[in-house]
Amino acid sequence: MRHEVYITPNEVKVDGKALNHKENGAALLTELYRAHIGDYPKFFKMDTLCKLGFVASELLLQAEGAPRFEPREDRAVVFFNRNASLQADTAYQATIQDPENFFPSPAAFVYTLPNIVTGEIAIRNKYFGETSFIVLEDFDEKTMMRELQNAFQDPMTKSILGGWLDCTDENHFEAKLSII
Amino acid sequence: MDDLIYTLKQQIIEALNLEDMKPEDIDENAALFGEGLGLDSIDALELIVLMEKNYGIKLKDPNQGKEIFKSVSVMADYISKNRTK
Amino acid sequence: MIVKVSDNIISPLGMSTAENYAAVKAGRSELKRHDGLWNLPEFFTASLMDRNKVELAFAELSDNEQYTFFEKMIILSAKKALEQTDIDPTSDKVLFILSTTKGNVFLLDRRETGFPEERVRLGMAAKQMTDFFHNPNIPIVVSNACISGVCAQIQAMRELESGHFDYVVTVGADVQSAFIVSGFQSFKALSVEPCKPFDANRCGLNLGDAAATIIYTRKETIDENDWVACRGAIRNDANHISGPSRTGEGSYRALRAVLGDMNPDKIAFINAHGTATPYNDEMESVAIERAGLSHVPVNGLKGYYGHTMGAAGVLETILSMQAIDDNNILATKGFEAIGVTHLLLLSNQNQPTEKRAFIKLLSGFGGCNAAILMAKGGAA
Repeated sequence: MRHEVYITPNEVKVDGKALNHKENGAALLTELYRAHIGDYPKFFKMDTLCKLGFVASELLLQAEGAPRFEPREDRAVVFFNRNASLQADTAYQATIQDPENFFPSPAAFVYTLPNIVTGEIAIRNKYFGETSFIVLEDFDEKTMMRELQNAFQDPMTKSILGGWLDCTDENHFEAKLSII
Repeated sequence: MDDLIYTLKQQIIEALNLEDMKPEDIDENAALFGEGLGLDSIDALELIVLMEKNYGIKLKDPNQGKEIFKSVSVMADYISKNRTK
Repeated sequence: MIVKVSDNIISPLGMSTAENYAAVKAGRSELKRHDGLWNLPEFFTASLMDRNKVELAFAELSDNEQYTFFEKMIILSAKKALEQTDIDPTSDKVLFILSTTKGNVFLLDRRETGFPEERVRLGMAAKQMTDFFHNPNIPIVVSNACISGVCAQIQAMRELESGHFDYVVTVGADVQSAFIVSGFQSFKALSVEPCKPFDANRCGLNLGDAAATIIYTRKETIDENDWVACRGAIRNDANHISGPSRTGEGSYRALRAVLGDMNPDKIAFINAHGTATPYNDEMESVAIERAGLSHVPVNGLKGYYGHTMGAAGVLETILSMQAIDDNNILATKGFEAIGVTHLLLLSNQNQPTEKRAFIKLLSGFGGCNAAILMAKGGAA
């Protein structure tokens, strides 16, 4: 069975079933973290894209039901989006915008690359395989499927945790991930 | 000094996104790095920014951080002696 | 087999591959100190483009002023690579892949006007390029931190293997800005002097501007002068999002994957990432040793260009191909005495070689690592 997770600021679905929640937007991600994960304080350092990817992948992997945290090299993590790391970029820019208040933040800068979320997932799950991030101007199923199929050309890769993971600001985001 | 220690704890919690922690939860004499709060290299860099932003202290050599950030007490002591804000 | 058709480099060392190779072979670099540039309070050392030169070159292609400096770089480089071929870029069998970390990020500065906000999006920047060439396909933008340039080449290999396209124009580029420089300064990762890869006194990296293009195609039969992209691999350290793994985990696994059962004696050199930070170079030495490759010469090119981020993987692969064509292993500029735990064969002089294969190795934030094995005449 192919497992799927879908998260927007107002909705959470795992394998087609809606999950109950009280909060919306960024608060929804925190609610999901506390309700379903809870053992990873690094979550609170993450930017919104990473929080989204982390929570979505955790729900997905819980749905998969396979043993967790066993090192493996045969699972790739491949994400797509339109806005790269825009939310993190905007947050970092704010720390350098005003010459009178110029304090570049390393904690903010570290998230100004979209692939960081693939790293967070690899660290959490001990995935030593391929991690990749592709930016597309449009959500294009055909192109994404082609890229995901391409990833299987690496003979080591037997499974992909992948999909669309986008975020423009703290309250506007979308995740559509599955395990292929 | 007690005020400074309390304020510093609040600032550290905020700067390092230590959600769910209150100043009362941090032992000012406990190691900040290594065990304890489990801070990493990026946290150390962020503390350097905190020193400059809130207290006007510019560390010339980032390696000085290892000594200064040993604990909240050591940090507070250094700040009280070197602050320009 | 996946074969290189043509290439181009646009950098402070020249507007063509030949110019760049000649400059690097002669030991030149444009790494300079920049004080007060972009209103940054701290000075920095970087290799930056002469923007007027780019403007003049671009004016020959188009009088449309609605392109950002980054877009001009990528269009120019792609154009120069295409010009060497008779490929029709308007064909739907031609795909453009762009490798970049920050693209037009300077547009986030509220003081910047003149371009719509949407151009910050990497897909939009790439579209300026495909629209310029009237290419009908959606461009693929690979944004995988500093390994993007090798990832993009691996993507190209896969696209060609799958038969969907006949040619892939792979462009890697990044331009520096206050955003990027200040960020690395906040990491205390920059060296105030020109960088010293693998050296005992290395203290950080320099940054650089560049755009580089490789056009790949698939061929059933090749001749002895064809450059073949044999194997590529991307692996993660699963350790820390910005610090390299002490065991060189991902880097070692990527090396192991591209080596396969090839005889390492056929490899002329490993062109390392070699950013000259204390941790990166140490990590690479661990990975190379673990992969059983300590006896293979290693070199690094960041002493000539600084770290060109999204361009690095493409730029450094092109120069490595040029070097082998010239029976040469390029000197590691900035290196004097080895300063990593595992002894590697490094030199600050050009060295002769008769071998015809090399490995390009890279690492990036997010714990990712990539390697690609290239062989002239498909020697692997």
